[in-house]
Amino acid sequence: MFELGISNVGSVNVMTSDKGGLTNEQVADLAVDKIVSISDEAPAHIRQQANQFRDHLKHVLYHYLLLARKEERGTIIQALQSNGHKEMAEYIRRL
Amino acid sequence: MAIAQAMCTSFKQELMLGTHNFATGGNAFKLALYAEGGGGKSSTTATLGAATTAYTTTGEIADSGSYAAGGGTLTKVAPATSGTTAFTDFADISFTTATITAMGALIYNDTNGDKAVAVLDFSSNKTSTSGTFTVQFPTADASNAIIRIA
Repeated sequence: MFELGISNVGSVNVMTSDKGGLTNEQVADLAVDKIVSISDEAPAHIRQQANQFRDHLKHVLYHYLLLARKEERGTIIQALQSNGHKEMAEYIRRL
Repeated sequence: MAIAQAMCTSFKQELMLGTHNFATGGNAFKLALYAEGGGGKSSTTATLGAATTAYTTTGEIADSGSYAAGGGTLTKVAPATSGTTAFTDFADISFTTATITAMGALIYNDTNGDKAVAVLDFSSNKTSTSGTFTVQFPTADASNAIIRIA
């Protein structure tokens, strides 16, 4: 008997949050996991470099996620203020 | 184990019968979440594995937030090849403002009789409380994609 093929199911990650959406750090983790995968069989020095790159990438993504959320809140606050919802705008500004 | 990760045996046969079409514009696939230990609807416990042939409500989690019975529709990544491996994948899926405890999931073909594709085992209970429950699929390549045939 010989085998013509092997079928596999990959592994998924599950990320959850309580009382609100995912944090910036969780979203950065999701993005980094999608961009960088490091083989367990890679030589140690390659794994080390890849891990450093991964940490750097996460830091950069985290920074820009913070910025993106801040900028979007700014846009929403402006829209609320210009439509007379000043209290709501202030509430969102404090988030 | 009540939920065991597997590519469903019926799915392997159905591939040979041309039942499933993962191409853009092909069939619609969904992901349903399941609980163990009486956490599902009507205190039912899911039993899912290679022998699962179709979507079932037994052990499916209760509706909450954006999660409704049957689960969410998956966005397909068109099948591709790399070397001698063919693979397909899906975009990550999230259920928001939801209180969910799930131990695993079933991917099934919503277009073709809810036929089972694969069972995903989360290894432990994953819980969101009035929050987001995200299932992140692996990178779509020959080594990691969710469905691979080598």
